Amino acid sequence: MTCNGSLAPRPLNRQFPAGMISRLSSWALRGAIRSYQLTLAYFFVGACRYEPSCSAYAVEAVSEHGALKGGLLAARRICRCNPFRDGGYDPVPRARPTLICR
Amino acid sequence: MDQKNFIVAIVLSVLIIMGWQYAFPPAKHPPVEQTATQTTAQPNAPTTAPGSSTPMPPGAPAAPGAAAAVPTGLPLDQALAQSPRITFSTPELLGSISLKGSRIDDVQLAKHRQELDPTSPPVDVLTPLGTAHPYYAEFGWSASDAALKMPGPDSVWTSEQKTLAPGKPVHMTWDNGQGLIFGLDVGIDEQFMFDVKQSVENKTDKPVTLFPWALIVRHGEPKAEGTYVLHEGPYGVFNGSLKEFGYKDFKDNKQQKIESTGGWVGITDKYWMAALIPDQKAKVDVTLKGTGPTPETTKYQVDYVGNGVAIAAGATGSTEGRLFAGAKIVRVMDAYRDKLGIDHFDLTIDWGWFWFFTKPLFWLLEWLYAHIGNFGVSILILTVIVKALFFPLANKSYAAMSKMKRLQPEMEKLKQRYGEDRTKLNQEMMQLYRREKVNPAAGCLPIMLQIPVFFALYKVLYTTIEMRHQPFFGWIHDLSAPDPLTVFTGFGLFHWQVPEFLHFFNIGLWPLVMGVTMFLQQKLNPAPTDPVQARVFQFLPIMFTFMMAPFSAGLVIYWAWSNTLSIAQQYFIMKKHGAPIGKKGAAAAVVATTDAAPPPEKKAIKPPKPKKS
Repeated sequence: MTCNGSLAPRPLNRQFPAGMISRLSSWALRGAIRSYQLTLAYFFVGACRYEPSCSAYAVEAVSEHGALKGGLLAARRICRCNPFRDGGYDPVPRARPTLICR
Repeated sequence: MDQKNFIVAIVLSVLIIMGWQYAFPPAKHPPVEQTATQTTAQPNAPTTAPGSSTPMPPGAPAAPGAAAAVPTGLPLDQALAQSPRITFSTPELLGSISLKGSRIDDVQLAKHRQELDPTSPPVDVLTPLGTAHPYYAEFGWSASDAALKMPGPDSVWTSEQKTLAPGKPVHMTWDNGQGLIFGLDVGIDEQFMFDVKQSVENKTDKPVTLFPWALIVRHGEPKAEGTYVLHEGPYGVFNGSLKEFGYKDFKDNKQQKIESTGGWVGITDKYWMAALIPDQKAKVDVTLKGTGPTPETTKYQVDYVGNGVAIAAGATGSTEGRLFAGAKIVRVMDAYRDKLGIDHFDLTIDWGWFWFFTKPLFWLLEWLYAHIGNFGVSILILTVIVKALFFPLANKSYAAMSKMKRLQPEMEKLKQRYGEDRTKLNQEMMQLYRREKVNPAAGCLPIMLQIPVFFALYKVLYTTIEMRHQPFFGWIHDLSAPDPLTVFTGFGLFHWQVPEFLHFFNIGLWPLVMGVTMFLQQKLNPAPTDPVQARVFQFLPIMFTFMMAPFSAGLVIYWAWSNTLSIAQQYFIMKKHGAPIGKKGAAAAVVATTDAAPPPEKKAIKPPKPKKS
């Protein structure tokens, strides 16, 4: 959990359209990944070198870090998933509390 | 002295005239200028007083006895009987040239039938006036001087020869009665190319400048088979680059004018086309246009006009061009590009964006076909080659998969135990991985690399005439068409014209086989840990069976065979690594998932039933 979520009630979207945009984009991104997971992922069952698999990683990363940073993490992960890397267990890094959170 | 001055004066005036002509070349006159005459039943009006500033009155025939009287919708033989003809019959082409109008308007493909049935009529590439959808090519001249009579659509040419054959060109002539003798030499090769030499002998006492042109006219928009996948319609290569148009680009009498050096312009169907190829070194003015109110009645025309040919008194001027009318066979098109130097003639075939992959795949298939004699078997062997390329990687992948399948229950237990404590879970998972020495799978790359193969094969089966009406074993007589033995015909037991709305459910035998292979392969794969995903995946083989059913049999056979090979490989590897196979494995995984967190499976899967009001 980010400190943002647990400490104070979220401000209204109307006043903070940036927050709304980021949540909308995160939602859209997760929706897209989900639709991939339920269709095309069929052909990639068991192929991923990592646990969790790239798509599961992407969903987790986006929900935890938002569309921008999460998307970036997911992209880096997908680039890592190649025959020249070792693979294995590779969870999403936790969101670190930052100064902004205060 | 007087005589000397006289000669100097003549030379000077000739020089001035030539210089003037060079500096201010006379306006070129495209073959068809008058839209007024176009709306009449006249086929084309390339020679109707070009250059005259006063257009012909609407509806007036351009030439005496114009084609206005020509009936339409005649059967081919009756339409052909309307005019004297020079016939030809080569290994590839059958047909004739009309001496009236010197039109190449009857070209049939000797080796390609309209239907799968070998007794069905041959495919028509060009059809004469009088038939329901005339489609023809003409070569002619236009003059700046309106008083000069040019050969027109109704001019009847004469020829000594009655037949045209490869190596035996025909010579046709027409005398305009004003001292200009027009000649047309038409040659044909063993394939689909007509060589056309246009000439004019000037027997007048004045020099004349004439503009050679060539055109292809097609009446009515044809039924396209699928313009989403490949281009059909007018197109050409102009100044080295391909431009494609749709028939709709020329509705409402729209037109396109392009100045080009080299290249070609034509109208194509899926498998065959007609195209004009001007002298590759000459600059020509190309026009593509449509004239007529509706797509069915519109006349689509592509043409080019060459530079003026100045013919001195007593001299003969000539120009050369070509007409392609035939099947777009890959090898033939490439050969024309290389041997005749026709710019980008290979682009007559629409290979799509991924031509760099699609075309090599076609070459490989064709090479296999040349050695085996059946395109279906060639596809099977191609599949084996692709699988062999990825064999080591896939082996590695399956080995990893086997291990994962064995580890899955244990991992689920860990997740269940430390679900909340992420740090602890991470540590335990790391340990499990280290302890069990899981070799990572090959990743998604090897699978991704096979997608282009599938796509390219789809494109090749769809696009190339080589695949048309190519048989496989048993009931597949056309690899490029869907499997004909479908559910609603009792798999061929009885004949029934299946209504349109049932087409989606009318699945052929091969798609069913493919569905079964997908199902079997799924049984070997580890079940996804996500329960919703697992349930959805169970339905996907059925979904794909429906989705693949309308595709070409060749593609479905490829997929079924590819799956079969994968299953064999995977089964062998999994056995070797002692992974649970089939129900045992699936059951273990399901138990593990239900242990971990009772998933709301049913809720998630079943779509909400629409309430009936």
